Amino acid sequence: MTTDRVTTDRVTTETKVELSINGRRHVVGVEPRHTLGDVLREQLGLTGTHLGCEHGVCGACTVLVDGEPTRSCLVFAVQMDQTEITTIEGLAAADGTLHPVQEAFSACHGLQCGFCTPGFVLTAVHLLATNPAPDRATIRRELSGNLCRCTGYVGIISAVERAAVERAAVERAAVERAVTNAAAVAASAADEPSSPRH
Amino acid sequence: MVASLDQSTTTAGPIGTSPRRKEDHRLLTGRGRFVSDLQLPRMRHVAFVRSTYAHARIVSIDCNELDPIDHPVFTALSPGFEVGLFAQSALPGYVETEQPPLARGKTRFAGEAIAAVVADDRYQAEDAAEGVVVDYEPLPVTVRAWDEPQHPVHDAALDNVLLARTFSAGDVDAALAAAAVVVRREVVTNRHGGNPMEGRAGVALWEGSARDGHLTFWSGTQIPHLVRNLLAELLELPESNVRVIAPDVGGGFGTKAVLYPEDLALCLMARSLPGTPLKWVEDRAEHLAAATAARDHRYELEAGFDAEGHLVGIRGEAWCNVGAYSVYPWTAGIEALMAGGLLTGPYKVENYRCSVRGVATNTAPSGPYRGVARPATVYAMECLLDSGARALGMDSIDIRRVNLIGPDDVPYRLPTRLIDDTGHYAECLDACIERLGLDELRAEQARRRAEGGKPIGIGLACYNELTGLGRAASAGPRMPFRTGHEACTVRINPDGKVVVLSGVTSQGQGLETTLAQVVAEAVGVNYDDVEVRYGDTDQSLWGFGAFSSRQAVIAGGAANLAAVDVRESALRLAAELYEASPDDLRLENGSFYVAGSPEAVGTLADAARVAYLESNRLPPGFEPGLDATRFYDPVMGAFAAGVQVAAIELDPSTGEITILRWVCVEDAGRVVHPQIVDGQIAGSLAQGIGGAQYEHLVYDDEGNLRTGTLLDYLMPTSAEIPEFEIGHIERPADNPLGVRGVGEGGTLGPAAVLASAVADAVGIDIDQLPLTPERLWLALEDQR
Amino acid sequence: MKSAPFDYHRATSVDDAVAVLTASDGEAKVIAGGQSLVPLLSMRMAQPTVLVDLNGLAELRSDRPTVTDGRARFGSMTRHAQLAIQTHHGLAAEMAGWIGHTAIRTRGTLGGSLAHADPNAECPALALACDAALSVQGADGVRTIPAAEFFAGMLQTALADDEILTVIDLAVPRRWGFAELARRHGDFALVLATVTELADGWRVVVGGVEGTPVRLADAEAALSSDASTDEVGRTVEESIVAYDDLHATSRYRRAMAAELVRRAVDQARRTQGEAS
Repeated sequence: MTTDRVTTDRVTTETKVELSINGRRHVVGVEPRHTLGDVLREQLGLTGTHLGCEHGVCGACTVLVDGEPTRSCLVFAVQMDQTEITTIEGLAAADGTLHPVQEAFSACHGLQCGFCTPGFVLTAVHLLATNPAPDRATIRRELSGNLCRCTGYVGIISAVERAAVERAAVERAAVERAVTNAAAVAASAADEPSSPRH
Repeated sequence: MVASLDQSTTTAGPIGTSPRRKEDHRLLTGRGRFVSDLQLPRMRHVAFVRSTYAHARIVSIDCNELDPIDHPVFTALSPGFEVGLFAQSALPGYVETEQPPLARGKTRFAGEAIAAVVADDRYQAEDAAEGVVVDYEPLPVTVRAWDEPQHPVHDAALDNVLLARTFSAGDVDAALAAAAVVVRREVVTNRHGGNPMEGRAGVALWEGSARDGHLTFWSGTQIPHLVRNLLAELLELPESNVRVIAPDVGGGFGTKAVLYPEDLALCLMARSLPGTPLKWVEDRAEHLAAATAARDHRYELEAGFDAEGHLVGIRGEAWCNVGAYSVYPWTAGIEALMAGGLLTGPYKVENYRCSVRGVATNTAPSGPYRGVARPATVYAMECLLDSGARALGMDSIDIRRVNLIGPDDVPYRLPTRLIDDTGHYAECLDACIERLGLDELRAEQARRRAEGGKPIGIGLACYNELTGLGRAASAGPRMPFRTGHEACTVRINPDGKVVVLSGVTSQGQGLETTLAQVVAEAVGVNYDDVEVRYGDTDQSLWGFGAFSSRQAVIAGGAANLAAVDVRESALRLAAELYEASPDDLRLENGSFYVAGSPEAVGTLADAARVAYLESNRLPPGFEPGLDATRFYDPVMGAFAAGVQVAAIELDPSTGEITILRWVCVEDAGRVVHPQIVDGQIAGSLAQGIGGAQYEHLVYDDEGNLRTGTLLDYLMPTSAEIPEFEIGHIERPADNPLGVRGVGEGGTLGPAAVLASAVADAVGIDIDQLPLTPERLWLALEDQR
Repeated sequence: MKSAPFDYHRATSVDDAVAVLTASDGEAKVIAGGQSLVPLLSMRMAQPTVLVDLNGLAELRSDRPTVTDGRARFGSMTRHAQLAIQTHHGLAAEMAGWIGHTAIRTRGTLGGSLAHADPNAECPALALACDAALSVQGADGVRTIPAAEFFAGMLQTALADDEILTVIDLAVPRRWGFAELARRHGDFALVLATVTELADGWRVVVGGVEGTPVRLADAEAALSSDASTDEVGRTVEESIVAYDDLHATSRYRRAMAAELVRRAVDQARRTQGEAS
């Protein structure tokens, strides 16, 4: 479904695209030239995605497209039909509880003005999904596609490191719980005469 | 210390702890409110048509292609655009010039706004801008402040010098003649700028008639009250009819402490289109081309030392590139006067003469940028000391030690008559060296010299940061206002919660948090029960805003005074309500306690309810309500001492530098929120390193900016910036909170530190910045 | 910084894409990853009337390359991120890891980078270093262009307006070395160098010194005659005419080319062959 609209000198067509954003389906009419970043901000009111340079250097506009970090200033919304997009608005729980990476950014003072923060947080979420225990040098390298002008990066690196450690601790605790439970099950099973012994 | 950045946050938050920042939750969840996020009914969008010539007469501007209703176009000839910005200074030797809202008659730099077009969205505004055709008649171009002027940038200054001043003390000629050694250095620093991640942005809405309207201007400005003051004057409105709102702002660093011609143009356009909110969001190319930059300087300096290394005199000249306009309100003198006034830094010297000039050129205007001029002067000064040490065969650290202002010297009167009230430089230096582990590094350096391996160098810089300037030392060159004070209202609402209305602004420095800590402690309530509002001229009485590392000292001071007043009122009321002597009562965590009893006798919420709703219970003479508004002016300033020491490793085959260690120790006075203070220091260090090694706004001889995108203007990433080791010596300043400013110090050291480290490693003098691998490699080639 | 208007065509097949290109009289642009093209559009330095999007074409993607006879074949829409993690072509994986940043590599493609032909980028040098055979499809059918003939100058290739790059066939070097110098992590290279041992001998390729990546015959000859690393480096400096620009002088570029070739030679000589 397309409609024609006259701008100053050229006729452009408007196309409907279907996007799943933070788990919610949206159908929006876009011009081919509208970047994903502009459509998120201007048409969908998701202004947490910030445009810092609009030419793919600063990383502020990074969102996850089908789970992969993507510069929303370097793709057109019309290309994103039928994709799943995660923006910064989609990370915290409905009651406001922060995502562990957001929580770590706050705890470690990984943000000052907050303008670059959404891009950093989403990049970090992807990093930890692919590399659960990066060291500081790795974090520095992997986040180098995002510019921050306020923090000197120290707090950001610490935040990602902390999020990784805390995640590992949560997982370790889960494993320990599982081991304890298994041991308990085994122990109770040991009381039964039919249990195999070696 | 890096460690304090990792420190856990709490919800308490007395001064000296790091409670969770009040700003964090909304910024982390994408719910910040930046100017570019604002959407209003009937809003339209603006794009500027910018000059493609650095210097040219504007012969004609043709916009006949555009429908005037769909796409109104504004130029300097549009009605109402006769006004302009005049940055004023009472200094002799200052030439006042005008900056028009849109270029009038001629354009003075490539990127200057010549026309503005309106459309329904930014895409269409840029389409329309392509329909505006400007016919130019090029004029000769001057790009460097120290080149022969080709053609006056402003008719009022045929030699392009907008400000000249000579600072002089003692008899420097005699002192240098008698010196054991005299060293000479000529250094050139690189133009770079703040480049906050959020560029400039504004939304202007005019409601009512042109003569008697009401203007609301949302702007990412650091100085909303000053902006209101001048807009009211230029638009001939009562100040009460102008409201300036600075919501969340994505970094400033001085770049946004300026009233820009685009701001004025947007408001003038809004007056012509009443009822239509007009939005302009600067893109990065516009920012690089037209926002203010800084540090485009050249210094020719001589220093004399006696045989023990004491500085006996400094003589020299400095040229600071002003760009095309004298920036409002700071004037063409902002950098030159700071350069001449603080060149000697934390070093004792009696004989001094330095002639400085601010020179107009056909480049984008220079303005305030974090550290104003001192990243350049500290670099120049430390170069002199390194040269002096080499000439005398002294250790580079020792020569600094013998010249630093010490505790016994304060108050020390600088040769430029500023008074240094701190003498803690040597203490900072000792702490740096201890943390660095100098002896081990020196041993490793020697080992590599003997056995081969990449050379190591150790560099250092000592500096003072002028912070919290009161009326006697006020920021800026004798402008028609003094920036020494700030107002703050502290109000206890009927529910006992506290609202703070501050005149200060924040662009990431966490003032919402810091002021809440100050007020919570002074009133005696919980940090969580304090809400801080700023950046709206309709809410706060008055404030100059954010610049010169003044917020903690002056806004914090005002908040403290107002909070103390409110607490006293509350205690007076409570004394009546609970029949106790005010002297026996105290207010803690929002409850009243009588001396000697652990049980609270009542709560602030109870008293506040009485103050607002039950006047029948008020004591005689007690005015209803619980609030106070106070101004604070520290009169003098609070110097903050700082020292940075770094170890670097060079790769002679490429000229690349690897930073091995970076230690910074500062005297921030009493630290309110350690995380925020360390964050300010780390951020300013990173900007300093960026300016020293990567960032450079390069113009060609025709005045075209060659670094017009972030592919060419290189800001450092997390992969380039090293870990920082930050330390403090906390020597409370002479103000009620004991605080000193910390916003700028970090930027002052890096160029000097790196140059000094290179000199230490391979004996090469770095006389030009940025210190790129190629520059270093070429110097090494010359040496080979 | 917003694009001028254009029409959008999501190609349903290579034939379909070629048909649209053919009909548009050179006014169309192909978009692959778009990581270099979109900035040019946003700055209005390119204003095509129609954008032909290859992202829907499964036939141009290759989740794993086809490997036969010491050569690996990649679909042109292979993302840099995929290239970086595949294990069939070690040099391609190494060089892809140097391209930009994660968010660029998830989107940018091998074919797009070759068609863009930035001399400071990794992919063009990779193609020349590995004797790439580039399959292109146009209105007149399919043809194969050797990498040596593909790059025509700064941002210029042998691709006709109606042609699309479909397959990149790279020799898998027995041994290789790679070195790059950039101002910041992830930046386009100031200079980069590859040294590859192919079936027909050594190749030495340098990027970032001329409008296209260049093969250095003298250095290759020196390598083949077992010259020392330093001798190879010397021939590099003598045989290059590098350009000056904002980021580096010709002199520095030449010296760095020699230095990077030395490093790549050392690395290649240290490693075991992977295709032997």
